[in-house]
Amino acid sequence: MTLQALTANRLLDGEVVFWSGDAWVEQFADARLYDAEAPAEAALASAKGLATVLIDPYLIAVTDDGAAPVSFRERIRALGPSDHLDLGKQAQGGAAIAAIQHAHGAARSTGRLSLIRRKP
Amino acid sequence: MSVYAYDQIDRDMLADRAAEFRGQVTRRLAGDLSEDQFKPLRLMNGLYLQLHAYMLRVAIPYGALDGRQLRALAEISREFDKGYGHFTTRTNIQFHWIRLKDAPDILDRLAAVDLHAIQTSGNCIRNVTADPYAGATAEEVDDPRVWSEAIRQWSTFHPEFTYLPRKFKIAVTGSAKDRTAARSHDIGLKLTRNRDGQLGFEVMVGGGMGRTPYLGPTIREFLPARSLLSYLTAILRVYNRLGRRDNIYKARIKILVAATGAEDFGRQVEAEWAALDQAAIDLPDLELARIRTAFGVVPFEALPARSTAFEAARAADPAFARFARNNLAPHKRPGYAIVNISLKAPGETPGDATAEQMEAVAGLAERYGQDDIRVTHAQNLVLPHVKLDDLPVVFAELQRHGLATPNLDLVTDIIACPGLDYCALANARAIPIAQDIARRFETPDRAEAIGELKIKISGCINACGHHHVGHIGILGVDKKGEEFYQLSLGGSGAEDASLAAILGPALPADQVAPAVEALVDAYLGLRSDASERFLDTYRRLGPAPFKEAVYADADQA
Ligand code: SF4
Repeated sequence: MTLQALTANRLLDGEVVFWSGDAWVEQFADARLYDAEAPAEAALASAKGLATVLIDPYLIAVTDDGAAPVSFRERIRALGPSDHLDLGKQAQGGAAIAAIQHAHGAARSTGRLSLIRRKP
Repeated sequence: MSVYAYDQIDRDMLADRAAEFRGQVTRRLAGDLSEDQFKPLRLMNGLYLQLHAYMLRVAIPYGALDGRQLRALAEISREFDKGYGHFTTRTNIQFHWIRLKDAPDILDRLAAVDLHAIQTSGNCIRNVTADPYAGATAEEVDDPRVWSEAIRQWSTFHPEFTYLPRKFKIAVTGSAKDRTAARSHDIGLKLTRNRDGQLGFEVMVGGGMGRTPYLGPTIREFLPARSLLSYLTAILRVYNRLGRRDNIYKARIKILVAATGAEDFGRQVEAEWAALDQAAIDLPDLELARIRTAFGVVPFEALPARSTAFEAARAADPAFARFARNNLAPHKRPGYAIVNISLKAPGETPGDATAEQMEAVAGLAERYGQDDIRVTHAQNLVLPHVKLDDLPVVFAELQRHGLATPNLDLVTDIIACPGLDYCALANARAIPIAQDIARRFETPDRAEAIGELKIKISGCINACGHHHVGHIGILGVDKKGEEFYQLSLGGSGAEDASLAAILGPALPADQVAPAVEALVDAYLGLRSDASERFLDTYRRLGPAPFKEAVYADADQA
């Protein structure tokens, strides 16, 4: 199966976070990658219980090499806005960030199949 | 005084509202409110969750600000955000890096300068759009701000219209020249006079963008101005009663008007209106006069129409001359001009202003512009009242802050929504596309030679970037997870309103700027003379030569 990671936004400040296996971390590079469905779903289920810590946890698909989220949207969440390369997670630079920036191949639209995109 | 002066009742209301939200945030953080319970509450205070953080959308009522308010926005961006803000096509400002825990403090800061985030979200009547040249242009029949303020007071927290089938947007233009995209609003109001010289409104209903764009048809050619609020009530009642609530995509009034037919819809409104106790709703003349007075009187000086300082600077400095050519509009008073400040420097994010830029504009407004600033739906700013004599120094100051881009309504004056760089709803990025196009045309001579050309980009079908009414509209779509862009031509949000038509298959991101260049080159070869705008050439010739230009090029690529 495709690799998956668990992500959410932090309630207090909206920051994009990933589950490392021990903690909610800010860099995708520190995310735990799941290669089996059951533990990924179990992690998601317990994340959904953290209502005062997280908003809307969900699983995202990750490229086979584990270097980047598959979907373009998730790559931007893992990096920051492309009009301000000095802002967001990408500002820290380094190899892991560069790997997401240069992830190639068609980014498939996966990760949030249940996302209903309507304006509030 | 340049903006409507709040009284103690207004101020108490804002203070209460901020305190209420502080309580709600505390309860959310403590776990006493679930996200499902809290989300509608935060949205009613303009707080959205986007991709990287929360976004706070602050209302700028009918796009009018004074220096003190713009400074407060600059301070908020510096203290609570990342030092910049984004002016939107609804003439609001958004901060994209807000922390939930700071939001109550920010609402307090806003309230201290009579600002808030009310009517920036939810299925209520949203912040009204008005002509940014209000009170300054000789074209206007009456000042649209007075009527916009009346609508604001009537609609804020209106118990009957707080849970409409869907959000509701109203535009008011004071002149025939439409700088509000009136026909793209749920209700567009155009101030006009009838043959007897009586003041009134042409009422257009059922316009909108989104996935099903419509231009609002006129349902009443002339509504006496003093009947405005009762007539709006009648429209909203018909909508509230008949608008669809079963399908979010069919819930806007445009769908109802289109399904019912404008004439029939108009008849229902008239019937509702006739049955209303109009006198109980319409503002008495005295109250209207009070609102008008609360805007203050601009202390214009009696000046000669010609300014030697202005003429000398124009002769001496080609950059100033260019700015004057492109960014100034005539003022109703001799010796004054309307100054457009473009937030579209090539390579920058359309609509963004840094804290320093906001402070610079605030300072210019205070010193040279009657303390009056406007935000336009094209994501630019306006100083509506500047003396011609002061223009050289205002220009120099704008230049110093990167705000003197001489490109109003030109190819580089691109509207772009935040798109996938920020927006949780986006399919594709809009900002880098705008940047690409603007860089391609950044030589000012070239942009000027092309003439008026309005490019509008949206990152998804919600159409915040107004792509349906772009001379060239660009819509980001998601094709199997990749960013693609659909080009449309022939739209207009001005008084000659029209909807753009899709040109052909969507293009990958790196093909968009070349395609726009091909369209422009085709236009330059086809136009009858330099006075024929891109839009006019398109209207005269239809899509065929433009299609040929883009897709022939794409094939070779
Ligand atoms: S058009 Fe879509 S992507 Fe752009 S701001 Fe609106 S909802 Fe977001």
